[in-house]
Amino acid sequence: MQLLREAFLLLRKDLVLELRRRESLLTMFFFGTLLLFVFHFSFDLAPERVAEMAPGLLWLAFLFTGTLGLAQLFQAERENQCLEALLLSPLDRGALFFAKVCFNFILMLLVEIVVIPLFWILFNLHTWNLLPQIFLITLLGTAGFCVLGTVLSAVTLRARARELLLPLVLFPLMIPVILATIQCLGAVLRTGEIGEAVPWLRLLLGFDVIFLTLGVLVFDWVIEV
Amino acid sequence: MAFFAVLGIPLHITIQKLSKAYGVLWALRDLNLDLPQGEFVALLGPNGAGKTTLLKLIAGLIPPTLGTVELNGVPFSSTHAPSRAQIGLLTPAGHLYENLTLRENLQFFTSLYKQNHDSTAIDAALKNVDLIGRAHDYVSTLSSGMKCRLSIAKWTLLRPGLLLLDEPYGVLDGSGVDLLENFLQAHCGKGNIVILASHHVARVLKICNRAIILHQGRLTFNAPRQQPWPDFDRAFGEFLPHGELCSS
Repeated sequence: MQLLREAFLLLRKDLVLELRRRESLLTMFFFGTLLLFVFHFSFDLAPERVAEMAPGLLWLAFLFTGTLGLAQLFQAERENQCLEALLLSPLDRGALFFAKVCFNFILMLLVEIVVIPLFWILFNLHTWNLLPQIFLITLLGTAGFCVLGTVLSAVTLRARARELLLPLVLFPLMIPVILATIQCLGAVLRTGEIGEAVPWLRLLLGFDVIFLTLGVLVFDWVIEV
Repeated sequence: MAFFAVLGIPLHITIQKLSKAYGVLWALRDLNLDLPQGEFVALLGPNGAGKTTLLKLIAGLIPPTLGTVELNGVPFSSTHAPSRAQIGLLTPAGHLYENLTLRENLQFFTSLYKQNHDSTAIDAALKNVDLIGRAHDYVSTLSSGMKCRLSIAKWTLLRPGLLLLDEPYGVLDGSGVDLLENFLQAHCGKGNIVILASHHVARVLKICNRAIILHQGRLTFNAPRQQPWPDFDRAFGEFLPHGELCSS
């Protein structure tokens, strides 16, 4: 309970700061939308091929926008050495990890709520009835991205060229999440139901649970290195 | 349990063979120090002597290469949350969120330290540092001196058993210096320990009850304050501008 209380305190602080600065969310939102338009103008896809390409294109957009968010994740703590202030405090550092995962998850979710319907409109997809399943899969994929991304964002926090380093270490380790999410989305768009995607969903769920637990356990060490 | 031993304030700090190397360069070497409750220590030395490194080692912000810091006989570990609550570090204009108001900063940090002060206590702390009129302004609108005053308010509320200060004088005006020194003396008067690193030697020597000098990472002087203090003048003389005596 103490961990959740502290995580809520930190998350509320991050949300208040984001509401006032509007840096991460606006950047992510515009970048995600811009990518969709670039895809739209670059690929002249026939309607029957869109469903094949949609999962990959959507996740490419989420990966790039999410990486932008991760690069800004500890920005407030870097100013005025506030990270030191947090590390000095008796705060459970697992709470800091959990709060940052939740914060990044909320930002990505807000972007996805706009980007996914926009993708359907731009690529003239008519399968609006599949959006709940698409959102469910995207939520699990986004959770995996945020969990692993937060750990790696903390690992690269003190690196000189962290904006370059972060995607280089993040993307290879994200392959299980990317693969599982794209396979799930592909199966749902192809068959119109979630049944065929269940094994991949299990993999996604397992990834999320394992890395969330690991993150809470090792973050104390990660943030000090 | 270590937890209860640490919470048994007032603190007694024992530093044994504390050393820190950055690559092949020793920033601090074989430092031994014993600080009983209520000690006000002036940490002095030329640039690069290892003062900030020592403060960060004691605070647990960097790990030592060798040696230990003990709080009430229990080795201090930066991963042990209750131990961290006993140590405060006042950096003049740092450790505050720029886009939170003064009041929000104090509320946030007191909640992190599980000291949920009501708004009256927070108002009193802000009033004490002459910032009550700016309580709803963002920290980013404050000058460096005002941020330092806010940090004083923060640590007044948090009451750490050991307070470390790194060059606090540079940003403060005359009344700010008085405010800081009154706060530090009152803090020590309650049995807490203060370690203040500064180049304002004459000022610090007036309020401390012990001075230690670091030079090239080694402890070269450690004694309780005297008046006059010829030993200190001899030990510190080489770091002063020509012809100046600081303890007199």
